[in-house]
Amino acid sequence: MFALLLQEHAQEHAAEGAAEAFDAGKTIIEHVSNSGLDHPLIHLPTIVGIDFSVTKHVFMLWLVAAIAFLVVTLTVRRYLKQDRMVPSGFMNALEALVEYIRDAIAKPNVGRKWVSTYTPLLLTFFVFIFCANIIGLIPLFDVLGLLNHFVFHAEPDSFLARVVHGGTTATANFNVTAALATITFASIIVAGSKAHGFVNHWMNLVPHGLAWPLYILLIPIEVMGMFVKPFALTMRLAANMTGGHIAILAILSFVFLFTEMFGRAIAGIGVGLAVSVPLAVGISALEIIVVLVQAYVFTLLSAVFIGMAIHVHH
Amino acid sequence: MEVLHYFGAAIGLGMVVIGAGFGIGKLAAAAAEGVARQPGAADKITGAVNLPLFLLEGVAILAEVFVLLVVLLK
Repeated sequence: MFALLLQEHAQEHAAEGAAEAFDAGKTIIEHVSNSGLDHPLIHLPTIVGIDFSVTKHVFMLWLVAAIAFLVVTLTVRRYLKQDRMVPSGFMNALEALVEYIRDAIAKPNVGRKWVSTYTPLLLTFFVFIFCANIIGLIPLFDVLGLLNHFVFHAEPDSFLARVVHGGTTATANFNVTAALATITFASIIVAGSKAHGFVNHWMNLVPHGLAWPLYILLIPIEVMGMFVKPFALTMRLAANMTGGHIAILAILSFVFLFTEMFGRAIAGIGVGLAVSVPLAVGISALEIIVVLVQAYVFTLLSAVFIGMAIHVHH
Repeated sequence: MEVLHYFGAAIGLGMVVIGAGFGIGKLAAAAAEGVARQPGAADKITGAVNLPLFLLEGVAILAEVFVLLVVLLK
């Protein structure tokens, strides 16, 4: 009831004063979602019915892949070139990470025999997802946008003007995480097939030696479970990344909502100082943990699912 | 009638949070008790608690996504 009254109040004021009313929902969705196909960053031709234009999430994917590749390769190259085998600098962190993924995630789940087969895959998952998540937290492109607004004044249709809208988390897009989960899905089947043979892997889905009526119930459940696993991975990662951004943006848009509601800037600034900024800082700090945990969770669950295909507990 | 949409979504979101809160609370309580009784097994207990915790979180997140869809696709 109170919310409705506030809403009416805000609408009255919006109708009276401001030239263009602030729409929190639209701003947030615009920030979180991918850029539309009619306004991509780079126009590319359509091949076999698929539009290859580069949207902002695709751009971020490339950026993340390039950064992860360069940082890891350069560090390892430099380490291999030096005379002593003692790692120095960033190599220490990298080595600790690799060791942790191998000993704490891969080995307990996939077993000692397969550890060197699946550690590279799991490491790739972790490094890529972690980089994509953490780059989404850095408002690099928003700073560029501010600079563009006050300093550069780029043409509205130029590449620079489009790229400054690009600062989003690539892993907040469900298509990206679905692709990652598809890799997990495929590697589960490959792992089972390599360990038990292709036919036996599918036989292993259900326990052996039960009464036949149970199989009518079990086979659909297990087949459904096969698809639910990657689906849950997809949703978990993307929803976590989107959720954090939406929460931060919604809290920060209180400033503009209150300014509009009371018709003067001081109300917005007061709410911003008292509520929005402290809360947003808190949620941002929480996001740093979430970013790390989600990369870990995706890796861990992939390892667990691969391990379940290898060690069948029925 | 328009408002009922948001009403349902809000109540659904609240119920999701209650359920997930109960689940995580139970896990955390059991883990803390286990670690207090046997500090040596802290690593094993954390490992055993992690997996169900993440699966539980996945269910809660899924429910939240559907609540969001209820609002967006009205």
